[in-house]
Amino acid sequence: MRALRRVRQTWGSVWCRAWEGNEHQRTAQRAEGTRNLHICSALVYRQNGAHADVLRLERMALPPVDKHCVRLKILAAPVNPADINMLQGTYPIRPTFPAVGGNEGVGEVIEVGSDVTSLSPGDWAIPVGAGFGTWRTEAVCDASDIIKVPKDISLLGAATIGVNPCTAYRMLHDFQPLRPGDTVIQNGANSAVGQAVIQIAAALGVKTICIIRDRYEHSEDLLSMGADYVVTEETLKGSEMERIFQEVPRPKLGLNCVGGPYSGYLLSQLDHDGTLVTYGGMARKPLPVPAKALIFKNIHLRGFWLTMWKRDNRKGKQEHQHETPKLLGGILITTTFLHTRPIRPSQVTSFKSLETLDNAMHCYIIINRTPDHKLCQ
Amino acid sequence: MEVQHRLRLLSRIIGMKGPIICRAIVTVTQRSGQSYTVGRHLPPTWRGGASAGWCRSFSDVSARTCTALVYRKHGDPPEVVQSENMELPLMGEKSVLVKMLAAPINPSDINMVQGTYAILPDLPAVGGNEGVGQVLEVGSQVTSLKPGDWVIPRDAGLGTWRTTAVFNEVSLAEVPRDIPLLAAATLGVNPCTAYRMLSDFEALKPGDSVIQNAANSGVGQAVIQIAAARGIHTINVVRDRPGVQQLSDRLLAMGASHVIKEETLRQPEMKDFFKKCPRPKLALNAVGGKSATELLRHLQGGGTMVTYGGMAKQPVTVPVSSLIFKDVKVRGFWVTQWKRDHAHDERALSEMLAQLAALIREGKLTAPACSEVGLQDFRGALDRAMQPYMSAKQILVM
Repeated sequence: MRALRRVRQTWGSVWCRAWEGNEHQRTAQRAEGTRNLHICSALVYRQNGAHADVLRLERMALPPVDKHCVRLKILAAPVNPADINMLQGTYPIRPTFPAVGGNEGVGEVIEVGSDVTSLSPGDWAIPVGAGFGTWRTEAVCDASDIIKVPKDISLLGAATIGVNPCTAYRMLHDFQPLRPGDTVIQNGANSAVGQAVIQIAAALGVKTICIIRDRYEHSEDLLSMGADYVVTEETLKGSEMERIFQEVPRPKLGLNCVGGPYSGYLLSQLDHDGTLVTYGGMARKPLPVPAKALIFKNIHLRGFWLTMWKRDNRKGKQEHQHETPKLLGGILITTTFLHTRPIRPSQVTSFKSLETLDNAMHCYIIINRTPDHKLCQ
Repeated sequence: MEVQHRLRLLSRIIGMKGPIICRAIVTVTQRSGQSYTVGRHLPPTWRGGASAGWCRSFSDVSARTCTALVYRKHGDPPEVVQSENMELPLMGEKSVLVKMLAAPINPSDINMVQGTYAILPDLPAVGGNEGVGQVLEVGSQVTSLKPGDWVIPRDAGLGTWRTTAVFNEVSLAEVPRDIPLLAAATLGVNPCTAYRMLSDFEALKPGDSVIQNAANSGVGQAVIQIAAARGIHTINVVRDRPGVQQLSDRLLAMGASHVIKEETLRQPEMKDFFKKCPRPKLALNAVGGKSATELLRHLQGGGTMVTYGGMAKQPVTVPVSSLIFKDVKVRGFWVTQWKRDHAHDERALSEMLAQLAALIREGKLTAPACSEVGLQDFRGALDRAMQPYMSAKQILVM
């Protein structure tokens, strides 16, 4: 008897979980029958794991638009390494399940609550903080969760303005005072942040030495974007760097998103009292720092996390966000490496094809078409 | 020495006054940035860029000599360091004749002889960067010192492993005579390093914690005591060894809050430890490698790790997540650089020395465990100084 009861309990809990799991679907189905509730499609995950395994395209009901809320249709959203890490559960920010993937993107305001004054229908806006869940067709959120961006920049520029260009901007401004003619050295130069660094530095008159991996094929594009030198990781070890330092001063600022032994070589190129700012760790290895660099060259090691900066600087953020779009409006953002994939019911298949992180980084999802607007510069 | 002799002969032959010849012949050497040179044929004191005023005492030639530990090439210290009889230069207007009393053997001294240090004197050179001496005689334009004063060098590279020396006034800082000799001899490097690291990187309040490895080193012991005097807790990491309990007791008696073995630091039980002790804001690293990584792991978010040594000869391994998500700052400290950066502000060093001396008088700061060795027994002292798990600092006494 007891065994039977246990079996019934087990089946009961399984059935309950299945019921809960499909709640969104049922709410959506009910909503379809109700005129006031809106439904969206979203890439949802209910557990951590590889994106191909845990992401599912689902229909979700949206909450009603309260007086301080806004409803947006998401136009485009990128796939950043942080987004993948969040799916895997390796990021410090853990949303509650079920969660929608994607931290960055641009949306167009469709409807505003009665108390909302900062935004109007037709405005473009991006999320303020991480964890928004941008891989969806529509969203309802508090007006303070998003911030307006100008519409006179390209769609993908707006979709990707919030994280990477802002990271580049802050790293170039907050760690070392840089004057025209100064030098910055960076690895991962072909990443979104790297490209933004090249272009923002060029606009500031700061020279960039850009390090790429050996097999990288697009160094001319980086040079045409404004990079002053593009060198491979192997070159860091050799005497080629001395030749470069006869032409430009030794860098006082280094930007690192790789880690591992090659970041040690990057560090050794810095001038006395220089700073190495780490914002990523693509090699998944720690930084080996020679004690001599710290003791005798007085090298400073720092990290940068835009999310933390945003938390610490909520007041000043508004000015920062307005400055960056203006700057980027004047800068050519290259989109040579983009593969745009419109979101469709068969999106699961296309996500499955993102086998390596490289591919994921180059992926942008166009969610709602804007035929009048330029996709990229 | 031979230059001096030839100039003397030349002046007698020509009949000209010494100073005129000197000014014509002697080149003023400027000290530049990080490196400095000790003139190949000139004693170290001449490199300071002094004027040719020393020539005034050309006439009173009394060939003073001293015994000095000299090395003429880089290499293994017990092999390349030799005891030599050296002629002292003549006293100039700004010169100070110092009788060395005691000088320690620090790791940086060993590295300098080995040729691995960041600054290297021209060879041949006298070893030793730290020590205390007594002023015997001062030149006519010396204002800040008088015979009987105790002095320590203001910069590295002066060469303290010797019985007597002639230094320029600007190279010396006075220390009080009412502190124990060994404390004075070991004041200029390690306690100053500890003081600056505890003061310049994080604003520490009473009740805050600091974590450090190499806790039984010269700097480590000074950190324990200065922190205790300021009401700051210290978490002290030491290597396991026979007698580790006695070592731990000694450090606790000195004012350490906790003494932990390296192995214990890596245990998950450390989580419970940090429930009763606040997480440190500041970590001090002299080891590198895994030991440094462990310090970083336990640091409070936004805290700083300062590296002042590299005893394990391994790089400091910094996890990327500590930098990005914990916002830890990784810095280094070199007391010689601090002294050079503050050379224009005499009071900076004097005030620090005065505060340290006050702690010494109050019994709150004592010299590390020392082993006094006569200068003539230097080879054994050098040998012992290079041994691992060395528990007593070798001090040469003259």
